[in-house]
Amino acid sequence: MIWHITKRELYDNLNSLRFALTTVLLLGLMLTNAVSHLREHPKRIQKYNEAVIKSLDGLASHTDDSLYMLAQQGPGMLYKKPSPLYFCAEGGEHLLPDVVEGGSPFGYSDNLRGVWKLKYPDANINMKRVGPDVTKADWAFVIGYVLSLIALLFTFDAVSSERESGTLRLMLANSVPRHTVLIGKFLGALISVSIPFTLAVLLNLVLISTSSVVHLDTEAWGRLGIIFFTAFLYTCLFLALGLLISTRVQRSAVSLVILLLVWVTFVVFMPSTLASIASEFSPSISSEPRWKRHNEIQDELWTKYDKWLWTNRTEKETLTAKSEFFTKDAEAEERLNREGLTEKVAQVQYARAITRVSPATLLQHLLESFAGTGFERHLQFVENTQRYARQLREFVADTDKSDPESLHIIGVREGMTKKKILPETVPKFEDTLDFNKDFNTRAMELLLLALFVIVLLSGAYLAFVRAEV
Amino acid sequence: MLITLIRRELLDNLMTFRFTAAVFIMLLLVVANTFVLIRDYERRLTSYNTAVEKHRQELLETKTYSSVDLILDRPPNPLSIFNLGLDKRLGNTLGVYYLYIPSLWDAGKHGTNNTYLNLFSSIDIVFIFEGVLSLLALVFAYDALAGERERGTLRLVLTHSVSRGQILFAKYISAMTCLLIPLLMCFLLVLIMLTTSTSIFLRTDDFLRIGGVIFTSFAYLSLFYLIGMLISAAIRRTSTALMLSMFVWGFLVLVYPNMILTAIETAPQADTETVAHNQIKQIWDEFDRERMQFLANDPVPEDDWDFGLWGKGYSFWGGRDDSPSLLYYNYSGFHFEELLEESEPQVPHAQNYHRFLGLQITNTSDRTWIVRKPALEALYVQPAKMERMLLKFSPVGLYDSATEAWTGTDLNGLQDFFTAGQRYHQAIVDFFHDKKVFESRQWFTGDKRGVDWNILPQFSFQRSDISINAKRAFPDLFLLLMINLVLFAAIFLVFVKSEV
Repeated sequence: MIWHITKRELYDNLNSLRFALTTVLLLGLMLTNAVSHLREHPKRIQKYNEAVIKSLDGLASHTDDSLYMLAQQGPGMLYKKPSPLYFCAEGGEHLLPDVVEGGSPFGYSDNLRGVWKLKYPDANINMKRVGPDVTKADWAFVIGYVLSLIALLFTFDAVSSERESGTLRLMLANSVPRHTVLIGKFLGALISVSIPFTLAVLLNLVLISTSSVVHLDTEAWGRLGIIFFTAFLYTCLFLALGLLISTRVQRSAVSLVILLLVWVTFVVFMPSTLASIASEFSPSISSEPRWKRHNEIQDELWTKYDKWLWTNRTEKETLTAKSEFFTKDAEAEERLNREGLTEKVAQVQYARAITRVSPATLLQHLLESFAGTGFERHLQFVENTQRYARQLREFVADTDKSDPESLHIIGVREGMTKKKILPETVPKFEDTLDFNKDFNTRAMELLLLALFVIVLLSGAYLAFVRAEV
Repeated sequence: MLITLIRRELLDNLMTFRFTAAVFIMLLLVVANTFVLIRDYERRLTSYNTAVEKHRQELLETKTYSSVDLILDRPPNPLSIFNLGLDKRLGNTLGVYYLYIPSLWDAGKHGTNNTYLNLFSSIDIVFIFEGVLSLLALVFAYDALAGERERGTLRLVLTHSVSRGQILFAKYISAMTCLLIPLLMCFLLVLIMLTTSTSIFLRTDDFLRIGGVIFTSFAYLSLFYLIGMLISAAIRRTSTALMLSMFVWGFLVLVYPNMILTAIETAPQADTETVAHNQIKQIWDEFDRERMQFLANDPVPEDDWDFGLWGKGYSFWGGRDDSPSLLYYNYSGFHFEELLEESEPQVPHAQNYHRFLGLQITNTSDRTWIVRKPALEALYVQPAKMERMLLKFSPVGLYDSATEAWTGTDLNGLQDFFTAGQRYHQAIVDFFHDKKVFESRQWFTGDKRGVDWNILPQFSFQRSDISINAKRAFPDLFLLLMINLVLFAAIFLVFVKSEV
């Protein structure tokens, strides 16, 4: 019987104006999305490749020189790899820095030069662009805004219009349980929304995957699968909401007004308003106390090691003192840099957590994570660079240890091995994405979304069971 | 008869659920956001005040003319609460040096804050109206004619001696009156919140500007109401009219503005930047050659530019090469707190050199500006104008740029500040030439007597006059009104010819 009702709903919808308009709208949006991705992605990849080659060249030349140079100059710029699934969610990537600096140590004088440390650049606000601000028409936009609105337009009159025209009474006069009617209606609407959406997604993916400029590997397809599933879950949420309001309200026009207001509040305004409130109440961060602490630490180090630093003597005591100075200085500065970043990240995380009240933000976060863009991804990238920094330092120490002639004093030329190092053995930075990790961190949000759907559906069921026809 | 009709419609509309819901939701959104926006403005104002104080202090501590750092700060615009525009995004400090002519693209930002928070989009009052007001207008309009036709009341009304134009007019007037209530209530609330806030000071002009914003909002509202009415007149069934209205809304407000800029690339020509950059470099290279020639020809035997001056101080040299903003210059000089006795004979030579250099540098910076200005226009302003133009195919774009022009947060409004900065730069350079600052001793030493910074020309900036705002807002406002008229005419034609 469910299938019967579903079929009826489906036929009803397929002939309607809204179905035609939805198809056109979604196809147009997804086409634009694919075309703009195909235009811009090669540029991104090219920029990344050029930058990485330059950075690797620097690393190779240091390696070529000596282990000392490697220990001093470090890995150079570490770049974030652009995700091939950029078209799914832009996630503020234009604002997030795509690099962590690990190189160009500070030179106190010609023969006194510190060692490298990781530096985290600030978010890049483009103060030069004077054009208007708009959201990129990515999948997150299409699903989050357009598809949710469409889902409401397909369900706002599902029950109320039948009640108005009296057909609901007719249907219930048959021996059909009410939940069957409701589920039938839900499935009918779900299928009618997903037909144009699937078509649009297929068009988008066919365009993107057949072109030679973007390569989607198996993992990317897996991620796309999850994104698609999330989109369904999100659509279900709004369909359930539509059914709930439609059963509670007598007239379909009133039901639409309520739904639209709910939609506007939760989808359009809630994310930005809550985020601004959250960021307005978080204290402003100033880098001054950190600079002060940095200077204090430096002063301390200078007074402690001053007598050794300006000499060119090469006995062990001087070398050890220099090495200690360099490492302590680098460690202190790197720690301060990290603390600064953590402080800023904490504020953003707080604002992000608060905005999670809105399902649109939930979807945005999920899509960003699975597309490998956005804030969480940036944090993962930063973590990768930190892991790599440890790896490289260990490599330097281990290589030095393997040479018995060396004095094992890292950071000074005379104290380190003079042997040639094989360039292949030097660890290279590779920015990787961990699918399992993404999935695990996002499982909570997926569950939350599913919970929303279940609550709204059961709400709709209860409302419908108790509704007078 | 018209009055009766209007009264009937008005009562009809006022009693509905949608009216209550509309008022409620609008007020809620506006109050919550105004609260946040005012706090944000206050924070920016504090940051501005501390920056001004800091820069003033730094100036007073400077001992020589050549090491002077004249930094101008741009005050936040209190009307940015209505339309944020570019006010928050673009730079708000501008360094004025004799080395180059300052522009919008050389501005920096004061205030140390968490830049990552820019990940969240910020909203302003106009943004709320863009979304909610248009939606409400359509919700009011979709059944204006189709509903009465369905219920059969239209036929009843037309049996009286009422012309169809009158019916349309009555419907329009009454619905707009209804819609005006939430609009005006919102503005009133915002104004109350603004005036009770201690840090915001509004001038009489500002109230007129807000009046302009209200009028533009009204035109925007009316436009969407007329779109809804046109759909209602053309389509026989209410449910279809509603569906179509919603799709039209979704397309115009939501989809089009975001889609069009994704679809169309407005990047400038690829080589504009490199060509201009090379040209500017050449101009400076030429300057450097002339400088070297001067040093070779002067009576001092060595070609050093520090003339063997010695004392407590330092010499500096450097340059700037910022390709994206086409900023390129180099400088060299020295700064002495005290000058040794044996350097004194060299001082006239140094003064002579700086007289030459000052003239050359200001000439060179004028010449670079001739290249730089059109290049910056082509790089940044043209694409931005193109993008704005594309957005104006949707009423949202028209409304947004008209209100931006009223509040003075559009590109022109912000350029006003930077133009004032350029004028100030000219005044400073003129002052330097008039008072022979370049060749003075205080240019590089602060020993005999320091510089009296109070005789320097003062910078002052006033937001543009209301008439200029009006002039800037007029084209978009005019277009909005014209579309209104066209729509009304279309509705009239459709309605007059339609069967009841």
